[in-house]
Amino acid sequence: MASGVLMPKAGITVEECMITHWDKKVGDLVKVGDILFSYETDKAAFECESTAEGELLEIFFEDGAEVPVLVNVCAIGKAGEDVSALRPDGTKIADVSSSTSAPQPEKVMADITIAAPIAVQQVNSELKISPRARNLAEKTYVDPRNAAPSGPYGRVIEQDIRTLSENGKGTGIGGKVRIEDLNAAAQPVAAKPAVPSPAVNEYTDIKFSKIRSAIAQAMSTSLSASAQLTHHHSFDATNILALRKGLKENAERLRLPNITLNDFILFAVSRTLLNHPDLNAHIVDGNVLRRFRDVHLGVAIDTPRGLMVPVIFYANRKSLSEIAVEAKELAKQAQAGTINPDLLQGGTFTVSNLGALGVEMFTPILNPPQTGILGVCNIVNRLKEAGGEYKPYPAMGLSITYHHRAVDGAPEARFAQELISNLENFSILLVK
Amino acid sequence: MDSFDLIVLGGGPAGYLAAERAAQGGMKVAVFEKRALGGVCLNEGCIPSKALLNSAKVYEYAAHGEKYGVMATGVAIDHAAVVARKNKVVKQLVAGVSMAMKKLNVTVIDKPAVIKGKNAAGFTVAADGTEYSAGKLLIATGSVPVLPPIPGLREGLESGFVLTNREILDLEVLPESLIVIGGGVIGLEMASYFNSVGSKVTVIEMLDKIAGPTDNEISDILLKNYKKKGVDFKLSCKVTAVGKDSVTYEEKGEVKTVNAEKVLVSIGRKPFTEGIGLESIGVYTERGAIVTDDHLRTNIAGVYAAGDVNGKSMLAHTAYRESEVAVNHMLGRRDIMRYNAIPSVIYTNPEVACVGETDESAKAKGIDVQTVSVSMRMSGRYLAEVEGGNGIAKLVVDKKYNRLIGAHLIGSYVSEMIYGAALMIETEMRIEDLKELVFPHPTVSEVIREALFEI
Repeated sequence: MASGVLMPKAGITVEECMITHWDKKVGDLVKVGDILFSYETDKAAFECESTAEGELLEIFFEDGAEVPVLVNVCAIGKAGEDVSALRPDGTKIADVSSSTSAPQPEKVMADITIAAPIAVQQVNSELKISPRARNLAEKTYVDPRNAAPSGPYGRVIEQDIRTLSENGKGTGIGGKVRIEDLNAAAQPVAAKPAVPSPAVNEYTDIKFSKIRSAIAQAMSTSLSASAQLTHHHSFDATNILALRKGLKENAERLRLPNITLNDFILFAVSRTLLNHPDLNAHIVDGNVLRRFRDVHLGVAIDTPRGLMVPVIFYANRKSLSEIAVEAKELAKQAQAGTINPDLLQGGTFTVSNLGALGVEMFTPILNPPQTGILGVCNIVNRLKEAGGEYKPYPAMGLSITYHHRAVDGAPEARFAQELISNLENFSILLVK
Repeated sequence: MDSFDLIVLGGGPAGYLAAERAAQGGMKVAVFEKRALGGVCLNEGCIPSKALLNSAKVYEYAAHGEKYGVMATGVAIDHAAVVARKNKVVKQLVAGVSMAMKKLNVTVIDKPAVIKGKNAAGFTVAADGTEYSAGKLLIATGSVPVLPPIPGLREGLESGFVLTNREILDLEVLPESLIVIGGGVIGLEMASYFNSVGSKVTVIEMLDKIAGPTDNEISDILLKNYKKKGVDFKLSCKVTAVGKDSVTYEEKGEVKTVNAEKVLVSIGRKPFTEGIGLESIGVYTERGAIVTDDHLRTNIAGVYAAGDVNGKSMLAHTAYRESEVAVNHMLGRRDIMRYNAIPSVIYTNPEVACVGETDESAKAKGIDVQTVSVSMRMSGRYLAEVEGGNGIAKLVVDKKYNRLIGAHLIGSYVSEMIYGAALMIETEMRIEDLKELVFPHPTVSEVIREALFEI
């Protein structure tokens, strides 16, 4: 008997995933573990492995479709087997490419209701359409009922409206396909009055991926909905540089992981925040400050898909080497796109490090609903006066953005002061 | 130089509606109109003629009420009062258009404009020595009556013996006799009015039928009705000369002369494209009409033409729709002009209303059709209200797709019901689906339903 392959549930909070690309096509023979297709949530991208062996009999959702989790995506079995029972709604979902091209005229003669089937299908029930699609339809003056739905359960999604308004052959009211259009499709395009076409623009449009859209949304919401500002500090990194050197040299003997400067900072932040609960907090409903007992530290990671912020949970209870190991693992998974989306939320404070890229100071944007974010900058040599003499020292920059609704300037400065003190006297912090 | 997003040449139906829609869409608009806003339609066409024809209808009912058991004596028409009322109606409507323009901040300039050229800033237009510019142009200069080169016609126009649709609506004294050259829509409506109010009317028409491209059976019924009312029709006759108080025409090689107090020349209208500077930017025209595509674009990007000036259908409602399509295209909204379901009406008594293909035009296009025709007397209301009526409803069906492609009606209220047939054509509904529509009873429109069941 044929079996279905479910859209995996990529995390507790994930309800819908978008299929980005099918690796297999109908008719391919697949084994358990073969990559069937790639999909993404708004936070990460994954590959789906086959859970069955046999021939790929039918694909229920095409590229670009948003599919609810734990719904059959395709059917695998022996050629000729009936797969109707596996179809998500008992019928094959319209495939975008074939339903938008005009039907053949021969078909028209046999069935004169050809222009209507899409509309007819929805006459009895309210049109299933996403809000974005409805918006676009209103803006572009197309009738969404004429779109070929490609979303789950016959839902019209934005892409369908775009296809309709750009490629829709219909010249009737609201883009409706008329008999004339069907006949025209069979004939060569008649020459129109020569109207010079505008010069071709020399640029490429790249549609935001789900992840890019999520970042865009989060960033602008953060800036528009909060009173955030940034303080710039620096500290003498002599101690942590020396400590790191020592640990690195003895890493093998002590069976220590590679501990980076950023790990030192993560460690120091996780300890210091405990004394500054207003910065280890969320703003809830605009007027409630939710302080957290433990520090769940978000670490901003630059990935090929865009910015991701995996979280080291209970960082305050973890040792420096535990933090180093975990940070590395999270970064690896985020970059590979295989990270569990549940690890991408729930942080109480975020650290973003651009020091390695030579950034001297910046204004990190708060990761809502958090109240603070630390930007780690590069190390520059500065002069320090001691006993009438100027001595150079390695100064590392820290840019701290905080939410002024939750925290005032002085408390932030006190946090910075304590953090700097901890970083400059790191060994004492380790002993504590 | 004042600059706009859109300059509209002409303030008729196409021009003022385009200005309205464009302003609603956020564009800064200027309209140039040397006469009154509203164009021919409002000032010397559709609307004023309807005011006159309604007076004629009221008069006819009163004068011939005996068929319905209503006796009235001493019924008379006060033509001057009819014209005064017509002027009041026109004034009110023109004021309404001006008001709408004002409300939407459309700049109205009451001078003729000439296109001067195109530069980086857009198109330049000059009026009375002042220059204006705009990124987009809509040419909606309408049409003018065709005046054939008949000897004596010019002189007749100058002396006031010969009139066009403009002057005839303002006649203060009823002529005892009137010759109408051209039995098209305008000629028939005016013949209808003057016949009703007592003038002796003669219609001279070159073709062997009246009402131009109207379905033959329908135009025949209309002809019979007006012959009965006393209008004299000279069909297949060619006017050869206009005298001081007469018109000479040729009938089957024989030269004849008919005398009259006034002559109306209404042989057709032609697009008004001369002297507006089209050549300065190279707008392409064919036989005097601006060539447009189904977005009303001309060959010059940014220049559109809507209404009579593109010569496509020369009806105010076509102009309305065309101007909307043009403006939608300017605003980047998807829209397209379709000409296959545009109704047309002749406001005679009985009225004639048509939409889509006739039997003949469909056959000429190679469409396999079935035509059904039913008598209006199948409608209870028609029978109750129209004594001795001979109206019909005729449907033309495309057999291949089993859909309606034409409807032709003559009878009462047909001007108001034709849009229903237009809707059926526009939406391409199947005949079996149309049969499920419910029509109000008792109405004349039920004849359409009767006809559907004849298919």
